Formats: sequence, C-alpha cells, structure tokens
Amino acid sequence: METLVRVTDLTRRFGRHTALAGLDLTLARGEVLGLLGPNGAGKTTCLRVLSGNLAPSSGRVEIAGIDLTRNPVGAKRLLGYLPERPPLYQDLRVDEYLGFCARLHRVPRARTADAMAQAKRRCGLDDLGRRPIAKLSKGYRQRLGIAQAILHQPRLLILDEPTEGLDPVQVRQIRALVRELAVDSGVIFSSHVLPEVQAVCDRVAILHQGRLVSGDRLTTDRGTLVWRLRLAPPADCAAVGALDCVAQASPLQGEYTRVVLKPAQGPEDLARQVVAAGLGLRELTAERSDLERVFFDLIGAEEPA
Amino acid sequence: MILTIAGRELRGGLVTPLLWVLLGAGQVVLAWVFLKVVDDFSGLGADERVVSLSQELALNLFSIAAVIAMMAAPLIAMRMLSAEFRDGTYDLIGAAPVHLYAVVLGKFLGVAALLTPLCLLPAANLTLLLGVAHLDPGLFAAATLGLWLAGLLFGAIGLYAASLSAQPGAAVLAAFGLLLLFSVIGRAQDLSLPGLSLFAWLAWNEHLLWFLLGAVRVSDVAYFLLFTGLFLALTHRRLANRRLA
Repeated sequence: METLVRVTDLTRRFGRHTALAGLDLTLARGEVLGLLGPNGAGKTTCLRVLSGNLAPSSGRVEIAGIDLTRNPVGAKRLLGYLPERPPLYQDLRVDEYLGFCARLHRVPRARTADAMAQAKRRCGLDDLGRRPIAKLSKGYRQRLGIAQAILHQPRLLILDEPTEGLDPVQVRQIRALVRELAVDSGVIFSSHVLPEVQAVCDRVAILHQGRLVSGDRLTTDRGTLVWRLRLAPPADCAAVGALDCVAQASPLQGEYTRVVLKPAQGPEDLARQVVAAGLGLRELTAERSDLERVFFDLIGAEEPA
Repeated sequence: MILTIAGRELRGGLVTPLLWVLLGAGQVVLAWVFLKVVDDFSGLGADERVVSLSQELALNLFSIAAVIAMMAAPLIAMRMLSAEFRDGTYDLIGAAPVHLYAVVLGKFLGVAALLTPLCLLPAANLTLLLGVAHLDPGLFAAATLGLWLAGLLFGAIGLYAASLSAQPGAAVLAAFGLLLLFSVIGRAQDLSLPGLSLFAWLAWNEHLLWFLLGAVRVSDVAYFLLFTGLFLALTHRRLANRRLA
C-alpha cells in the first residue's frame, strides 16, 4: 500500500516542556488513523505539526514523499486540515468563505463551483450558501470547517475532533463521510470518544505524555474478557466466581456483578454456565470495549467504576 | 495568491463598521480644521497673510490627517493577524499552500487599500474650494502622496505589531508605542544631541513636512519605502518564528 505520511522521530518542545517525544507514525492511502489520548497527550500538537502550522523541534514529516519542512508549499497542496476550532471568518457568507478557501488551495477557477457544490452536498450545507457564517449554529460551523478541509480533494485529511458539537445524526453522517473520503486518501482523525474511533478508524495511535504508546491495527475479532452480569436477586457473587470460565468476580452496585473471564473463554461460555448453575441471568453486557481496555491499560489510568 | 489574501482583507474591512467609523470621525475632524483654516485666512488682510491659502491648508489639513491615519492603521491592522491568531483562523492560512511572503504582502495590500480612502479625505475636502479660490494642485498632489506613503508606513508598523500578539488590544498598544517613538524621536536632537541628525532623519514627520511644503524628494520617498519594507520584513520574520515558538 502507498505510504502517504511518514513521521520519523518527531519531537516538539515548547520551552522546557516536551509536547511530543520521538514520535514515529505512518499512514497509508485508504487508511483512517485514529489519534487517541487524554487531554495534554500531544494530539493537537501532533496534528498542528502535520498541518504545517507548527515546525518540529526535531524529526521529519513527509507527505507523499515531500518533506514538510523543506518544501512546505508542495506538501501543503496535498493536505486538508480541520483544526480544533473551525477556522471560519464570521464576516463572510458560506459561499464566499468556500470560494476564498478554494482560491487559497489553488482549485482551478473552472472547477471551483463544482468543488464547492460537492463539498456542501457532502457536509449537508446545500441550502446555506447565502447564510452569513456568524448566524450558523455550532453544528453547521463544524460542518463548514469540514467542508473547507475536503474542498480541494486532498490526499491527506487531518481532522482534529471533527464530531465535536454535532448531534448524533450528524455524527453518523460525518463518520460515513470519513469512510467515504478514505477510499482515495488517508485520514488522520483525533477524538476523545473511544467508540467513535473504534467505529471509524482502521488503526489507532494512542498518545500519552507526548509519546506514542500504541499504534496497533484495530481488530474486531478479539473480544473483551471483562463482562457485567445482572442476576436475579439475591445475586450470588461467590457462586459466579466459582464457575469454570471465571477468573474473578466482584460485586457492583445493585444486582450487578463484574466478571473477568479466563483467557480463551467467551461470553457464550459464561452465559451457559450461569444458566446451568441456576443463578438467574437477566443481563450480560461487555464491561468495556477492546479499545477502552487497551487505552486505559496503556495510559495507566484507573478503570472506570 | 497575494491578491486573494488582499481581497479577503479588503472585503473583511469593508463589511465591518471600523473603517466607516474611522472615516466618519476623520471627516468630522478634518472638516472642522478645514473650516477653521479657511475662516482664519479669509479674516486676514492681504498684508497679514504670510503664506498662501494652499500652503495653510496643506500644512494643517494633511498633518491632522496623518495623525488620524496613525491612529487608524493599528486598529485596521490588528484584525488581520492578531485577531486571526486569537480566533484560530490563521490556521487556515497556515495549512494552505501559500508562501509566507504572499501572506505578508496580501495582508499589507489589504491595509493599504483600507487606509487609502483616509489618505484621500483631505483632498476630498479641498474639492469644495474648486472654482472659488486659486489653489495649487501640485502642492496638494505632493501632500497626498506624502500622506499615503506615511499611511503605508503606519500600516506596516501596525501589521508588525499585530504579528506580535494574539491579543488585539496589546497589538494596538504596541503599534501606538512604536508610532509614537517614530513621531518624537526627532526631538532627541533638540534635547541632547544637537550635532547629530540621525534621530531627526528617523522621524516620519520630518519627512512628511517636505511633502506638505510641495517638495517630493527622492530621499523622503526612499525613507518611507525603506521603513515600510523593514517592518514588512520583520512581520515575515515574526510569522516564520511563530511556527517555531
């Protein structure tokens, strides 16, 4: 697969504070990379460096083989960037703004109208061309920010928390849009929302204190070992712990019991054994997603209650 | 690309009230000065008149207009960089395939275009006297050119100050500080260094005076262009360093 982005030993310091330390990343065409991490992990700094808004203290960023530091204009032709706050001019109308962005990204004049129409259609802004940006709701502003990023059909799309402020319907639309755009380009997508990253991304890079702690491909076949049971009262936690497939059982509030399965055991084993033991199974849910488990394990945070 | 950025700044300046308020306030002040000069001059007898009406008008009207332009330039320039840093819109330009020099020149052209109507206000006032009094059009053309060149310098200083801070208020104060320094630095010669003319040469008002007297000297034009270029180069440097900060 064609490598679109190659980040080598990237370090970024702000005075004495090191925001990114020795980061190595690659992104292939057709891939969506999720950038995860707690606040202050270095996600936004990483994306700002990749967008050319910040220079690295050391290390190298190449976009389609073009060095971002040595040939910034050449590299930036290939990227679309949505920052944390959509970069919108309040005094412009939607069409005026997109027209300015098209000229800024050197979209040929003959193609501008088509490019604007396509970006607006993809982001659900068809009827808002004449609307002043100052009068747009937060969700529409976010959509317009995405529209300017995809307007020139970039080969690399960098999205810093693109679903922030959107309602659930819009979030689903943006997820679908990201997957659609990833057919021809590469997407780097940062988010605080773990299920969102799991739903959209092929691969996830977890940052913690400026370091890359994981850069794994997401797999859907590996199930979680932590489950939550709701049993008919009186819930007998000790009986659950005695089941063959259970490594550990601990009572939670109400009728709930938290269960950690032995390796290679699945929820079907747990359900069968709970029913066979006559414990009154009422509910069986995954305690945490696979990604959540990896995330909390890697950053060393306490497990959620 | 320079024109794209300049066009955006020009449009942004025209749709916000700031320019219109500055033009309105400037016109009120200039109209008052204009009336006072004409009134005073017409009250004098022919033997009491030391200089011509054209000279009186050029010295009074254009020097006041220069002060107005000096106050307006930082206010116009602050929204082009400082407010963009604050609002996050500079990230759009920062991630676009645009050379930094094109950003600086585009923004500067925008400031220059917005300051030009202010610089033409004195000349617009003088059209009221067309056909009524014998005026010297060459003198007013020289004064207008001088005022416009001074406006360019003020705009470049305003742009440089706007590149220093993401707080527009702080940027405006920094610009006023720099402009005041360039206004009063000529007085250093009178205070302690009577033999040294460097400080007088550094002051913009010393150079504008020659234009107001009707003399377009290459040295004065060069002064304004040199310092305008210097502050634009400093703005470029500052924007380049901002990526490293």
